[in-house]
Amino acid sequence: MLIFAASDKGGTGRSVTSANLAYHRALAGDDVCYLDFDFGSPTASAVFDVADARLALEGGGLHSYLGGQVVEPERIDVWAVTEHQVLRDPPPGCGRLVLMPGDVGGGEFATTGDHVRLCADLLMKLSYEFDLVFVDLSAGRSYAVDMVLEATARPEMSQVTARWLVFHRWTRQHVAAAASLVLGERGIVAAGVDRGHDEEELRGAIRFVRAAVPDPESPLWSQVSPTQSAWLRKADADLKQLASAHGIGYSQVLGSVPLEPVLQWREQLITDEDVLDSQIANMETWQALSRLAARLTDDKHWEQA
Amino acid sequence: MSEAVFRETTAQPRTRSVQLSHLSLELGHLYMEDFEAGPERLRAHFAEVRLWVEAVRASAARRTGGKRPRISTCFLIDDYFTRFSTPAELLPLVLEEAEKAGLAIDYLARESGCAVADRIEIAESVAHRLVESPPPGSNGSRPPVGQTGWLANGRRTPTTERAALGEVRGWQPPEETAARNHSVFMDVELWSEQDGRRLWSCPFLAAVWQLARLGLLRHLGEPVLVPRPWDGAEFPHDWDRLPPLLQLDPRAAAFSAYRTCTLLPNRFLAVEDAVRLILDQTQVDAEALRQVAARSKGEGLEVPDAVAQRATYIFYEDPATGPVSGGR
Amino acid sequence: MTRRPGQPARPALVCGEVRTCLLASFQALDGRAAAGLLRLRADEHVRISERPNLYALSPETLTGVDCRLPTADGSKVRAVGTVAARAALTEGRLLQATAWFSAPAAGPDTRRPWGHYLVRPGVVEPFGRLPEQATAQGVLRGPGRGELDLGAVAEALLARLLRHPLLDRKVPFKSRRTHLRWVARRVPEGERAELTRFTLAEDGLRTVELRLPEDTPAAAAAGLCEDLALHDWLLTTVVHMLESGRFAAADGPVAVQALRPAVDHLLHLWMPHARVERSLVHLWEALEREPGFTRQWQNLVQRIRDQLAVQAIRLPHQALSTN
Repeated sequence: MLIFAASDKGGTGRSVTSANLAYHRALAGDDVCYLDFDFGSPTASAVFDVADARLALEGGGLHSYLGGQVVEPERIDVWAVTEHQVLRDPPPGCGRLVLMPGDVGGGEFATTGDHVRLCADLLMKLSYEFDLVFVDLSAGRSYAVDMVLEATARPEMSQVTARWLVFHRWTRQHVAAAASLVLGERGIVAAGVDRGHDEEELRGAIRFVRAAVPDPESPLWSQVSPTQSAWLRKADADLKQLASAHGIGYSQVLGSVPLEPVLQWREQLITDEDVLDSQIANMETWQALSRLAARLTDDKHWEQA
Repeated sequence: MSEAVFRETTAQPRTRSVQLSHLSLELGHLYMEDFEAGPERLRAHFAEVRLWVEAVRASAARRTGGKRPRISTCFLIDDYFTRFSTPAELLPLVLEEAEKAGLAIDYLARESGCAVADRIEIAESVAHRLVESPPPGSNGSRPPVGQTGWLANGRRTPTTERAALGEVRGWQPPEETAARNHSVFMDVELWSEQDGRRLWSCPFLAAVWQLARLGLLRHLGEPVLVPRPWDGAEFPHDWDRLPPLLQLDPRAAAFSAYRTCTLLPNRFLAVEDAVRLILDQTQVDAEALRQVAARSKGEGLEVPDAVAQRATYIFYEDPATGPVSGGR
Repeated sequence: MTRRPGQPARPALVCGEVRTCLLASFQALDGRAAAGLLRLRADEHVRISERPNLYALSPETLTGVDCRLPTADGSKVRAVGTVAARAALTEGRLLQATAWFSAPAAGPDTRRPWGHYLVRPGVVEPFGRLPEQATAQGVLRGPGRGELDLGAVAEALLARLLRHPLLDRKVPFKSRRTHLRWVARRVPEGERAELTRFTLAEDGLRTVELRLPEDTPAAAAAGLCEDLALHDWLLTTVVHMLESGRFAAADGPVAVQALRPAVDHLLHLWMPHARVERSLVHLWEALEREPGFTRQWQNLVQRIRDQLAVQAIRLPHQALSTN
């Protein structure tokens, strides 16, 4: 199964959250691959704590592959080369976790037919090998989104299940922007239909993930004044209504990730050690990620509304 | 494996050999405009060719050490790019003019036979055998940067496409791979598409023609473009009913040969240069290649390694008096 | 193959890489479909053999190279020539692509016209003397930037085949590719062929070192290595199936489901040296002695059968038949 991670804007925690989802699935025993299609700012190696120097030495990341300069993009076995102490010791029974980074210093590029063909080849090949393939896409209406929409519309890709996660922050502007990215003019659905996708099917394969959501019930907010608390609840309710009005209401949401300082600031994988031993990350976050990871392949959450 | 008890024919296919002369000599390669100009043009052509044929025969005899060389002659008519008249009308005229000049045409071929003969897509097969000459730096990891339908002798001017904030580069010259100090860059069109149909280019069909004359074409191990005998009856009224390769003289030496020599007016220089470029990047059937090498060696007449080196040309002044037309 | 007299052309080294993967087709292909898939060229036969198992072998294709050879000691040796590649399909199920080249002990100091190389398919000529040991080790280690990349040639061929419209592109189960790199040092004719080392490295990489008499064709060495790679892939894949968290934690129908692909698609593929050239068959013996490829395979097969037997006893009949 392919999981595309898109977002309306930068700063939604798309990369770090999808990397965490990949990590959770690998822990659960799936063979997982993570592709960094954020071509303008390839950063996935930082999330997995893989040294950039290593990449520069090897050369030939996704930019080089899609540009036709190498036949195969570089693969990094995260368990083997990460500098993260906890990740270096994966528990028994876990699956493979492979990262395909972009080129160090790679930039955005306008996609052509050749890019699309190579992209489709790669996604096909990885789908034969991995249980889950995460593709982290550049924010907004990007060439990366365009390319994978076109690649997955190719007839040979029709056998591969693809699902989309659209990450957005829980604010008025973000809700509107996320809705527009998916449903608006030149949005994912319209562009997908243009490239040969079935509208119903494509819409059914897209779910939203609300990121950095402050939970009014959380202990984090227990100290605020009653006025603030009431305002928080009101704002949250307003946003829910707004989301629903934009067509991205509850039934279209796969899950939320709470506001989590470790995700926001460290931008790295949250391990069980961060939650249990050092306790720098919240248990709620770990649970939310775990729930979200499980729902990716749970068809119940992907039925048509 | 010869001593094996068990054998599966589909597991060990064989390649049939062809008979070989010492030299395949092409007496002409004529196009519509040559015929349109009337019998005088043909006459002038053969009169000029006649002189060079003597020289070619003498040269072949020197190679065979005085032994009488086996030479077969051939003549190619274009029925691929333009159709003109009918075989029944045209061919007797050609044969008559050749005879008047004292020349015997052993084999007669139609150019469209180089594209498809006996329902075998020969040109298509040869196209799949192109192995592009790698510019320095090719290490197998870069898929061939081929321009579909074109073949070059070096590196083309790079396209200006670039990544966001990527380096801005000015024009860069193309580069011939085998350049000595300076480049002579050539880019040859192999085919074009017309109404969804592939139209092979003249140099490409001429390259196929050279491979046929060199005895290096096979289809699933069987020779292709095999000469059909002519019973001396009238030629058909439709080009399609004329066999792609006709043997006019039953006593003629074998059609294919170790080497070829082609006599042409000098306006074909560029075309034949393109033919060499194509031959130089065509991987011919390995077994056919081995058969020719072994046989020629057995006769003490070893062929050059590279296939393109086995073809020679004589270009003479165009006898045409009228305006020279561009196409071939 | 003809060589000009006076040319040093003693073959010194043959190097190759085999990539092995499951064919992306829900059903195994029959002979006719296999021939269709592997018809890389319309004018050349696909070799099809039905005994002792169904096997199809494509014609060879060539890729031109002009680059540095991979060398373990960093010496820079430019080489020009063609890398040969071919694909094989076993029992319509396992697809392999091999790329290989032979290198003479020495070559000319300048690049010749391309036609010179094209009549020597699968030969890559070094400029000057070939550092045999360093090149052999370099090939096994893998190419550095810009160095001759056999894996890429094999990969490109696989990619081309997997795009074939004949395939439904459904895999019956997930599996990974393995890469087997091999080098064969040439020894004088008459000496016995030897397998000197088989290494199981990480990331699905295996390396093989051989010593081959000069008269053993490079394609025969490729055939041996394809055979080794195929059986190693079977071991690797079935071991992974049995080890994966999925299976280890599973019981009942889930466990049966996890093992089912092995029974349906893999168990009948074990057939060491079915088509290896006679003079090379004995090289298998070394691996049978240590570590004992067939011994391990039989053990795995036994384990799978025992598991299924145990599950069959436990399960009501319908659970088995619904799969």
